[in-house]
Amino acid sequence: MLAYAARRLLLSAGLVWVVASLVFLVIHLIPGDPAELLLSQGGIAPDPAAVDELRHRLGLNLPLWEQYASYMGALLRGDFGLSLLDEHPIADEIALRLPRTLELIIAAALISLAFGMPLGVAAALQAGGLLDRLLSGAAALALSIPVFVVGTLAVLVLAQELKLVSAGGYVPFARDPGRHIVLLLMPAGTIAVGLGAVVFRVMRSSVLEVLERDHVRAAQARGLSAAGIIRRHVVRNALTPVVTVVALHLGTLLGGTVLVEFVFNWPGLSGYLVRAVEARDYPEVMGIVLVISTLFVLLNFVVDLLYAVIDPRVRHA
Amino acid sequence: MRAAQPLARAVGVTRAFYRRGRFLGRSVPVMALRGVDVEVQRAETVGVVGESGCGKSTLGRVMLGLLAPTEGQVLFDGEDLAQQTQAHLRTLRRRMQMVFQDPYGSLDPRRTVGAQIGDGIVIHRLAAGVEVAERVALLLRQVGLNPADAGRLPHEFSGGQRQRIAVARALATAPEFIVADEPVSALDVSIQAQVVNLLADLRADLGLALLFISHDLHVVRHLCDRLVVMYLGRVMEEGPASEIFAAPVHPYTRALLAATPSLRHRAAPVPLMGEVPSIASPPTGCVFRTRCPMAQPDCAETVPTLQTLKGTGDRRIACLRAEEIAT
Amino acid sequence: MNGLRLRSLAVPGLLAAAILLLALAAPMLPLADPVRQDVARRLAGPSAAHLLGQDEYGRDVLSRILWGARVSLAVAFTATALAATLGTALGILGGYFRGVIELLTVRAAEIVLCFPPLLLALLVVTLMGPGTGTLIFSLAILFTPGFARVAYAETLSVRALDYVTAQQALGAPTRRILARTLLPNIAPPLIVQFSLTVASAMVLESGLSFLGLGVVPPSPSWGLMIRGARTTMEQAPLLLLWPCLALAGAVLVLNLLCDRLRDVLDPRGRSTGSPGFLRKLAALPPAPVESVPLLRVEGLTLQVKGRHGSVTLVRDAGFSVGRGETVAVVGESGSGKTLTVLAVMGLLPAAVVPVAGRILFTGRDGHVRDLLRLPEAQMRALRGRDLAMVFQDPSSSLNPLLRIGDQVAESLRAHGAKSSESVVPLLRQVGLPDPERQAQAYPHEVSGGQRQRAMIAAAIANHPRLLLADEPTTALDVTVQAQILSLLTDLKRAEGGMGMVFVTHNLAVVSDIADRVVVMYAGEVVEEGPVADVFAAPRHPYTAALLASVPEGGAERLAAIRGTVPQPLDMPAGCRFAPRCERAIEICREVAPALVEVSLVRRSRCVRWKELV
Repeated sequence: MLAYAARRLLLSAGLVWVVASLVFLVIHLIPGDPAELLLSQGGIAPDPAAVDELRHRLGLNLPLWEQYASYMGALLRGDFGLSLLDEHPIADEIALRLPRTLELIIAAALISLAFGMPLGVAAALQAGGLLDRLLSGAAALALSIPVFVVGTLAVLVLAQELKLVSAGGYVPFARDPGRHIVLLLMPAGTIAVGLGAVVFRVMRSSVLEVLERDHVRAAQARGLSAAGIIRRHVVRNALTPVVTVVALHLGTLLGGTVLVEFVFNWPGLSGYLVRAVEARDYPEVMGIVLVISTLFVLLNFVVDLLYAVIDPRVRHA
Repeated sequence: MRAAQPLARAVGVTRAFYRRGRFLGRSVPVMALRGVDVEVQRAETVGVVGESGCGKSTLGRVMLGLLAPTEGQVLFDGEDLAQQTQAHLRTLRRRMQMVFQDPYGSLDPRRTVGAQIGDGIVIHRLAAGVEVAERVALLLRQVGLNPADAGRLPHEFSGGQRQRIAVARALATAPEFIVADEPVSALDVSIQAQVVNLLADLRADLGLALLFISHDLHVVRHLCDRLVVMYLGRVMEEGPASEIFAAPVHPYTRALLAATPSLRHRAAPVPLMGEVPSIASPPTGCVFRTRCPMAQPDCAETVPTLQTLKGTGDRRIACLRAEEIAT
Repeated sequence: MNGLRLRSLAVPGLLAAAILLLALAAPMLPLADPVRQDVARRLAGPSAAHLLGQDEYGRDVLSRILWGARVSLAVAFTATALAATLGTALGILGGYFRGVIELLTVRAAEIVLCFPPLLLALLVVTLMGPGTGTLIFSLAILFTPGFARVAYAETLSVRALDYVTAQQALGAPTRRILARTLLPNIAPPLIVQFSLTVASAMVLESGLSFLGLGVVPPSPSWGLMIRGARTTMEQAPLLLLWPCLALAGAVLVLNLLCDRLRDVLDPRGRSTGSPGFLRKLAALPPAPVESVPLLRVEGLTLQVKGRHGSVTLVRDAGFSVGRGETVAVVGESGSGKTLTVLAVMGLLPAAVVPVAGRILFTGRDGHVRDLLRLPEAQMRALRGRDLAMVFQDPSSSLNPLLRIGDQVAESLRAHGAKSSESVVPLLRQVGLPDPERQAQAYPHEVSGGQRQRAMIAAAIANHPRLLLADEPTTALDVTVQAQILSLLTDLKRAEGGMGMVFVTHNLAVVSDIADRVVVMYAGEVVEEGPVADVFAAPRHPYTAALLASVPEGGAERLAAIRGTVPQPLDMPAGCRFAPRCERAIEICREVAPALVEVSLVRRSRCVRWKELV
């Protein structure tokens, strides 16, 4: 198990390095000069002096490998550079916003699992029945509505028409825990609509598939109770595909967070990212993309560990 | 006496598979075949028997050049398959064909059986135009099917019929040598007999050389002239089928025969202890020694080679105690 | 079957076609100019000229929605088509050639997957500036690895199939194999992937446009419209609704189409309706219960209810097992032998229902019960205690996630045992070497024969009165088969009085293990009697032919049975064996024969049994 975890961790570290290098290369190898691109908004040729000045400031006049070395060195120190717009250290801004985004993701994942898994089992046990058809229909619908549409409609209905909640925003937990949670539930619930539907669907089909397996029939032949079989022989065996699919959706989930934070004015990484993209602030975009991608890689590492916890065959492989 | 130049021949063939190395893990070679010598004369049927993991299927594919040997040579009609150009290898392929175990997996579900039987004729330009269809019809009749079936898809046929189609496909290029890899194992007993009879008839009519791979000793005994007994990638015993069945020498052959249930006599109670060890970590010395009732200390040291049994022309056994057992 | 599945495509297919047509026809429809502003009438409600009203710049909403569909679909389709072409090519090359080529194609494409999709798109937008071209480019990059993965996985699995090897053996050139054999066989999942990707591309496109980083205004786009309407949500909430509905509706239709396509093209993993795990008792007319020594199956008839009426899989099956007796049930595939024993265990698949017969069984308490009519709760109490079963494939019959000892202990706990201390002795009894350690092992850590020993240990844990064994040695090697057969014989001796039903297709095994044999053919019992008598002088032509077709006689030719086993849907009217029988006469083809007593201990279902000597 430890050897497996160490191997996976090493692989994840390698991936983070690949991601960091790729981000660097994409920015620096793309045809055209970033400094020139940055200053040439609206198609007007920029002032050559200004371009020179910016190139110097960004270190673009150095040889590529030197730029790479200093970029990697800075990353290892946790230094993402300064924002082009306001010269603010990017790492500070990320450190402030990252926990909020993480909180949102974790809350959304917990809500999705809490609803998706038991409902998936229930629907599978009565596949073809009324409950199953209702839940499956609802899931198909939930999967089809893009996350920002769900959010926008939620704001329209819950906040504006019914005046149940405010349209979004953020209050630090320390200042008002109750309000913090209410404000968290709206965006987290919005993400959970789609993610919960995914979990439900996979759980349902996975349970259905496991129910057909020989070892379930063998357990019945031993005289175990239905509840016991579902607990010991069905749910646990059905988890592996659920973990796989949730892992596959992690990327979409992280992307969805960007949209949802935007809709609900949740001051996580995304508002920062959108602003950076609009302003074409390279160092900022690089820093945020790198942090979220690293998060993505780490989450996949956790998923790999989960496989090993669930399945002894993975542990021993 | 056996002819000097067999039609198909494996000389000291070793085949390793590399288990895919995981990240930072080393890849381990798994030896599916080790130093195997087999020869098939023209118009001769050689049976290959053994339990799972003995390498018999790998041997069949190596003999046809579908897998390259890691060491050793495979010769067809005296020509080393590894030395041939792609173009010449293709012309050799016309002369050797294969019939597979699973009649469901061996036919492309999306193409008509006529098109699949005709493939060999088209690829090797043995005929063109209407003549292809005529040959396909002839082949279908030859394996006992209706020529009108050429336009149907594989799923419209039963397992036994599919196996006939697979045989027709192999016959399409008029081969001299066919490897049949467990061709009747997936079939019901009553259908099995039909296919065995078909193979026997074709062999007689066309003078085919056949390498017949099977785990069913009864079928092998019925069909084969010679027998090769394999265990964990090595040949244990080899010789004329009738002589081996009458008086097996290698302890493994004897155990295999004793364990095979028969309508005539009850199987010996527990002829062998334990199970086949993993091919990834075979025992040292004689690979069979861990289960062998006659093993002695030097069996763990020395790898026995195939030796001709004294007093016989062509029975060869890989056992240190062969002479002792035979007398 | 196929027709019905195709029809399920009709509704989503037609809807998708309608959306496509509307988008294509937008320039020809009598619509207002989607970008012409009319600021004076901004946020005006629906009117005759503007059916869905006007937006914050006074532009016609209906027109913008239809033109928006054009933009959305064009971006999604172009990007998906690019990704599909590139990804499929990479996947096929990587999967077919493996090695370095795999590294350069599939693994290289997968680097893209290190980034969350929306983020990568944003990175591209940062570099290239927003616009339709950027959108298509970044979406194509995003979706290429998906296609490469699907094509790669499919190529790997198809490449390993014998029909591809057969092409190689025929000497077919690689180009021909890829184009003629491989591509058609990996196409279905790729088509599913295509429709799935078009839907995700639409979602991503609208998401980027919503953030203001996708389609550039004033081009109409659903994402942009939602973005715009959000700012005027308080004055004109309906403006928000229309593009939301359009987007969600289009994605829903595509997703539906995708689900149905998957069912039609790629049926693997498709659920087949009710799992039948929660068992219901079949509705049967009551039948009397009388005393039997151990087990008596009578007139058992099993049907599958299908759309074209019921199909009878087992008809009028009957046999009995005495205390301490071993009865072999022998037959070819489709003979109904496995269903018959599953009916005894009450573990029939959900689709198969008993419609007639009795299964009388005397339990350990001396009570006789009709197992066909026993409620599930009482049946469960018998399973694993009075009745036990061993299955064909020991590698799938053990739960891979639980330790062997724990699974054996389940048998004990399910029937009231407080502790599981008898697990190790049980494992020792079935001949597992080092039982203390093996109890802690997971199934994948032990060999096939040892798994079957563990299954047998779980079965005999509560000293059952009757052990049902369904082809318990078929998946094992010959030498291991011999070990398991002798283990079962020893256990029967140790568990005095335990009866056994042994299902097999192997006649030689029957003569090894059984006292009596029941021969089944096409869902019927055709002959029953003591093994030695039946094998020496069969009283049914099928038994005789089956024995003759075993290649043991040393005959020059095997006596094959002509033709094939009839399918349940078109069973012969008379005797089911008549079409293949050498001795069939007129009456055999017309009247279904009954099982008749040949002697005190033997029965046959042949009208001419007297002539068979």
